[in-house]
Amino acid sequence: MKLLWAVSALLLSCWRTDASTAPNIVTEPHEVSNQTSAVLSCNLTDSSLLIKGSYWTLNGNILEDSVSADDSPFTVHRLDKITHSNSGTYECVFKTEPQVKQTIEVKTLPHVVAYKHSEHGNENDKGVMVCVGHGHPLPTDWGWFKEEDGNRKQILNGTGDKYEIKSTPNKTTLTINELSIQDDIGDYTCLGTNELGPGSDKIHLRVRSRLAALWPFLGIVAEVIILVTIIFIYEKRRKPDEVNDDDDSGSAPLKSNSTANHKDKNVRQRNSN
Amino acid sequence: MSPAPKDVLGYKPPDGGWGWMVVFGAHISIGFAYSTPKALSIFFKEIQMDLGASYSEIAWISSIMLAVMYAGGPVSSVLVTRFGSRPIVMTGGLMCGVSMATASFGSSIIYLYFCIGIIGGCGLSLNLNASLTIISKYFLVKRPLANGLAMAGSPVFLCFLAPVNQYLLARFGWRGSLLILGGMMLNCCVAGALMRPVTPPDKWTSFAPQTKVEQPNEHNTKIKRNFGRNAKKFLDLSFFKDRGFVIYLIGNVMFIFGAYAPIVFLSAYAINQGVEKYSAAYLLSIMGFVDMFIRPATGLIANSKWIRPRIQYFFSFAMVFNGTCHLLCPLIKSYVFLVVYAAFFGIGFGMVFALIFECLMDLMGSQRFPSAVGLVTIVECFPMLLGPPAAGLLVDVFGDYKYLFFMCGSVIMTGGLFLFVMNIYNYHMLDKEKAAKNNEQGQKDTENQDQEKAASWIWCLRDYTIFRECLTLYAQVLG
Repeated sequence: MKLLWAVSALLLSCWRTDASTAPNIVTEPHEVSNQTSAVLSCNLTDSSLLIKGSYWTLNGNILEDSVSADDSPFTVHRLDKITHSNSGTYECVFKTEPQVKQTIEVKTLPHVVAYKHSEHGNENDKGVMVCVGHGHPLPTDWGWFKEEDGNRKQILNGTGDKYEIKSTPNKTTLTINELSIQDDIGDYTCLGTNELGPGSDKIHLRVRSRLAALWPFLGIVAEVIILVTIIFIYEKRRKPDEVNDDDDSGSAPLKSNSTANHKDKNVRQRNSN
Repeated sequence: MSPAPKDVLGYKPPDGGWGWMVVFGAHISIGFAYSTPKALSIFFKEIQMDLGASYSEIAWISSIMLAVMYAGGPVSSVLVTRFGSRPIVMTGGLMCGVSMATASFGSSIIYLYFCIGIIGGCGLSLNLNASLTIISKYFLVKRPLANGLAMAGSPVFLCFLAPVNQYLLARFGWRGSLLILGGMMLNCCVAGALMRPVTPPDKWTSFAPQTKVEQPNEHNTKIKRNFGRNAKKFLDLSFFKDRGFVIYLIGNVMFIFGAYAPIVFLSAYAINQGVEKYSAAYLLSIMGFVDMFIRPATGLIANSKWIRPRIQYFFSFAMVFNGTCHLLCPLIKSYVFLVVYAAFFGIGFGMVFALIFECLMDLMGSQRFPSAVGLVTIVECFPMLLGPPAAGLLVDVFGDYKYLFFMCGSVIMTGGLFLFVMNIYNYHMLDKEKAAKNNEQGQKDTENQDQEKAASWIWCLRDYTIFRECLTLYAQVLG
């Protein structure tokens, strides 16, 4: 009899520990790949734990509008439109003791954007083009292509000294050294690939000739020289007129400097006698 | 409250006519001088990327240019006194153009420091001093208006250069832009060509109370003899014995110390208050736009018959107004009121700068102005370079922008009040000195009058004696 009680107590305790160490959350779906919309749901099947509420997180950040104080073991998060900005690692978290959570990955094609769609470089200088990747998962593979006669020609890293490609999961940089006007003007495509597929963007490269700024500069210099010449010629021509003008206005001081003149006048009058 | 004495030119300034073309030339010249160091900052990001330097290293370019522009004042004073304004402005324009054009080929930051900072700064300092001097030679009655119009060049050119520089940068890159900017600065040579020297005809000099007049021949030979002596005294320290000059200098130093920091930190403060980045940048444009119109308006007001005799007080009022604006700024929290603050800041700033050199001309007179302005600019170099970093230090230490505005506002306001009080004292002393001089003159006059009276009696007596002698002879002949 005592043995029976011991065995049943052992079984009960085992069952209870089983229940507390393995709460099962059933997620639906397990993973979202390349879909335009989805409804994420989590169902906490083991309901022995007290549920004080639940919320969802995306990449570790709590989604404020998903926080609920409901004690329901079933929680839902709707994604009406899946884009690169709301893709990532979602977690449904139940406020229990201890907390339990489960992960659902929402994956999309990589969203690849160029910093600037039109880049400039100077002749014989270097040209830099940058593409950034967004979304989840981030591109694992980056490639650069040049559009030539309708064909795409891959640019390989370290082809001589001309091309340099530096890539990280979220950014890729193509540096072209010694830009030349004939060879390097054109469209360049950056391609980022993740497990679902590729994403790309196009950049147009313009190469400015070294002498491009020279023509406006020479134009301005010519304008300055012409204006200065005109001003000096105008002044030389005015000079004979100026002498006449000054004769007329020369009478003014005679009226203004009265005291000085009176003295002089007196002296002069006396001297003349 | 008459304007300070020593304004004896020896000739009547044209006050119009070709003078307005000279004002236009000065407008261009001063415009480039003040706006180029600020407008260059648009290129800094690209230069930084290209040359691989840090932002503070690049920012030194502007600081060196401003510092050299102000420090070169005394040298440019001597040159202007020797050669006149026209060749100096043309040389300055040429130096600036060449400096920018050579900078466009640079590949190291030191090279840019030398080309843009030192050579460009020297060119601008020649421009600034010479332009101000020629205004004082051409105008007397309408001088405040002419000064206001010329100083308006600074905000006008800043408003014009900022978008032009952006466009040039996008189209040509920083090297091409510097080359074209150099070409644009050559237009200072055109401005210089407009600055025809004032040469009164020789007959006027005989009526002049003093012989130290704008006669080119006499002037040149005299100056050639004195050139050795002048070269030794670049810094004519005798100015420091002039009470009015010292008062002006102290007030100005206080103003310059607090004036530039709010401009530098305004958008940062606005962003700190929660304003969006583009709206914050707009604040400075509003300030510049208001400044553009206030400067000529202030010149016009200062020219009126009520303000002109009391122009030094008007200047102190403008400074106090500016200081008050800054003191009230930290109380503002919303964007609308920040816009109002920017507008009032523009008004205060424009008023002070329209009058800053007019007051110096008023104090010093046209003869001593070139040397005075050189001395003032070299002394102002220090507060100008120290002001913004000191303000920045306050922000770093206290973590709050309001202390910056309190400091700047209080320093400027103290300067304004100092000028106001000391000018009352100065005018009082000048009136006393004038009265004393008049008494002396009066005594001398009465002495002279007595002498003259005696002389005329003697002549009378001589005539009468001669007349009597003639009569006697005649009688003898007849009788």
